[in-house]
Amino acid sequence: MSRVDSRLAARLSWFVGIFLLLFAAFATLAWFTLGAVRVKGPIYDRIIVGNDLIADILPPPGYIVESYLLVLRLRDEADPTEIARLIERGNRLRVDYENIQEKWKRNLADEPAIANPMTVTAARAALDFYRIRDEEYVPALKAGQRDAALAALARMHQRYEAHRYAIDEVVELARQRNATDEREADALIERRSSHLVALGAAIVLLVLVMAWFARRVAQQLSARVHFAAGVAERVAQGDLTIEVPASNEIDEAGTLLAAIGTMTQSLRGLVARVKQASVELMSTATEFAATSRQQEATVQGFGASTNQIAAAVKQIAATSHELLGTMEGLNTVSAQTAELAEQGQTGLSHLDTTMDRLAQVANAMAARLAAIREEAADITGVVTTISKVADQTNLLSINAAIEAEKAGEQGLGFLVLAREIRRLADQTAVATLDIEQMVKQMQTAVSAGVMEIDRFAEEVRSGVGTVERVGGQFTQIISQVKTLSERFDTVNHGMRSQSQGARQIGEAMGQLLDGARQTSVSLREFNAATGSLRDAVSALKQEIAKFNLGA
Amino acid sequence: MLALAFRAGDAELAVAARDIVEVLPRMPLRQPPLAPAGVVGLLPYRGMLTPVVDLCQVVAGRPAEALLGTRIIVVAVGHSSARRWLGLLAEDVVDLVEIGDTLEGLRLPDAPWLGRHLPARPGLPQLVDPAELLPEALLRLFVPEDAA
Repeated sequence: MSRVDSRLAARLSWFVGIFLLLFAAFATLAWFTLGAVRVKGPIYDRIIVGNDLIADILPPPGYIVESYLLVLRLRDEADPTEIARLIERGNRLRVDYENIQEKWKRNLADEPAIANPMTVTAARAALDFYRIRDEEYVPALKAGQRDAALAALARMHQRYEAHRYAIDEVVELARQRNATDEREADALIERRSSHLVALGAAIVLLVLVMAWFARRVAQQLSARVHFAAGVAERVAQGDLTIEVPASNEIDEAGTLLAAIGTMTQSLRGLVARVKQASVELMSTATEFAATSRQQEATVQGFGASTNQIAAAVKQIAATSHELLGTMEGLNTVSAQTAELAEQGQTGLSHLDTTMDRLAQVANAMAARLAAIREEAADITGVVTTISKVADQTNLLSINAAIEAEKAGEQGLGFLVLAREIRRLADQTAVATLDIEQMVKQMQTAVSAGVMEIDRFAEEVRSGVGTVERVGGQFTQIISQVKTLSERFDTVNHGMRSQSQGARQIGEAMGQLLDGARQTSVSLREFNAATGSLRDAVSALKQEIAKFNLGA
Repeated sequence: MLALAFRAGDAELAVAARDIVEVLPRMPLRQPPLAPAGVVGLLPYRGMLTPVVDLCQVVAGRPAEALLGTRIIVVAVGHSSARRWLGLLAEDVVDLVEIGDTLEGLRLPDAPWLGRHLPARPGLPQLVDPAELLPEALLRLFVPEDAA
């Protein structure tokens, strides 16, 4: 027997048991009450004894014995006050009797057998007695006519006897009637008692039958309810594969089973749809996450490259500035050289001193030229860096433009920015090429200058005889220095434009960095959103996984 | 619509920007043993080994020059269900051009991957279809048969 069923049955048994107990208590109580209050029962006896006691003690008002005794006492009484008191008492007794007669006349209206001797025979005698007493006896006594009084008394005696005879007859009739009533009551109680017992037994039997029937119904009902509970429990555990057999019974349990079947089917459909949707969601979220991570990596790489470029550009600007200073120094020196050469040409008479000074200047120039060569080597290194930066910038701008192109409408602004960067990178590359060529020319010139200076120093040292040739060399030096000056100007110009270009690149990089930072922030937010979406979907999936949909 | 212009030998070529995944700088590649002449190396890219084809080798029969402008263009080949990446090594990969109105050029049966000409540049670069670029036998090395 199942748990639910036994509980229901136990509850039913409890109800039946309590009902039977209460019914037994009621029956016992009713039995005892009936026994206690029935005729000849203890309570009845007590009441009868009480009534008898009163009846035995009190002079009965319906029986004129006291009035008769009063009349006898009047006959021998001499005291007038006592006589008045006795007459007064007699009058009250008469009134009492008449009242009693009225009462019994009403009470015995439907019992003529008793009413006749009581209210007719006895009453007539009693009334005659009272009439003789009041009309003859008492006036005769008051008048002192003792003989007339005694005659009246004799007649009153006759009336009294007649009354007493009638009363005895009434008493006998009443006693007979009581005995009959008691017998009838006893018989009735006997009969009713057996009826009560039979009725009680029938009720107990009926209750037991009802209990048995209810238990059977409960068993049937609870078996199906238990089946429904099993189905519901399996559904609760997530097993949706269960099939509820169609029931053709249309009671509450059948309806419940049908409802559970429908619920299971719709739940199965719903869970299957949710499962499918969560799988799609998961794949979408994963795709999102992958795409955003890729974007973030690109943007980060982009930011790093931009920082690198900005640093390189700053370096370029600083070097250019330094170079400009050197160039100016060189210009001054070359101007001085030209001046000195001219002085040397015009004043060969001061050759000795000038020679010394020339030698010094030549040394200084050699040192300067060596410095220039070093600077040129530095410039070559910087130019290589600029070329690499320009190349990276170009590559970056191409990738940025491709990404912007893929982004469609939203990438249009970015596309323009990428094009601007590419143009700047191209300009940088061109400027770099110019610088490279200039530096190469400068290096050639410097090498030539160094050689010339060396040779010139040699000539100066070899003697005064070569002074004419030295003059020619002077001319050459001047022309070389002039060319140098011109070239320096060109380099200066190139440097300035390069510096400007670097500043523009710096600004563009700043804009680019801002854009990258904004993109990065947006991507991070997007990433977080994707993460929470994925978490939510995986939680949903986990929940859904509890449901078993079968094959 | 943009296209990335580049050079392979003497040929001016271009690839539509929507086919490009990313442009990478030139990097040292080692030719895998016994690979066909066009395949110059395998490039680890986004967690996958991507084959790199030298377009100069395919078009002009000589390897691409080691210059800064020589770069690897990573393109997506195949349908969306079997998408694979392919690296194209080319020269002068420095400029993007607007595709605009294209012009029909010569149709060469040996080179079905050479498409329409772009009038935007004086060299009239030809659009390259990466999917048609390689011979069937070469392409089959990268895209698995069952996935395609």
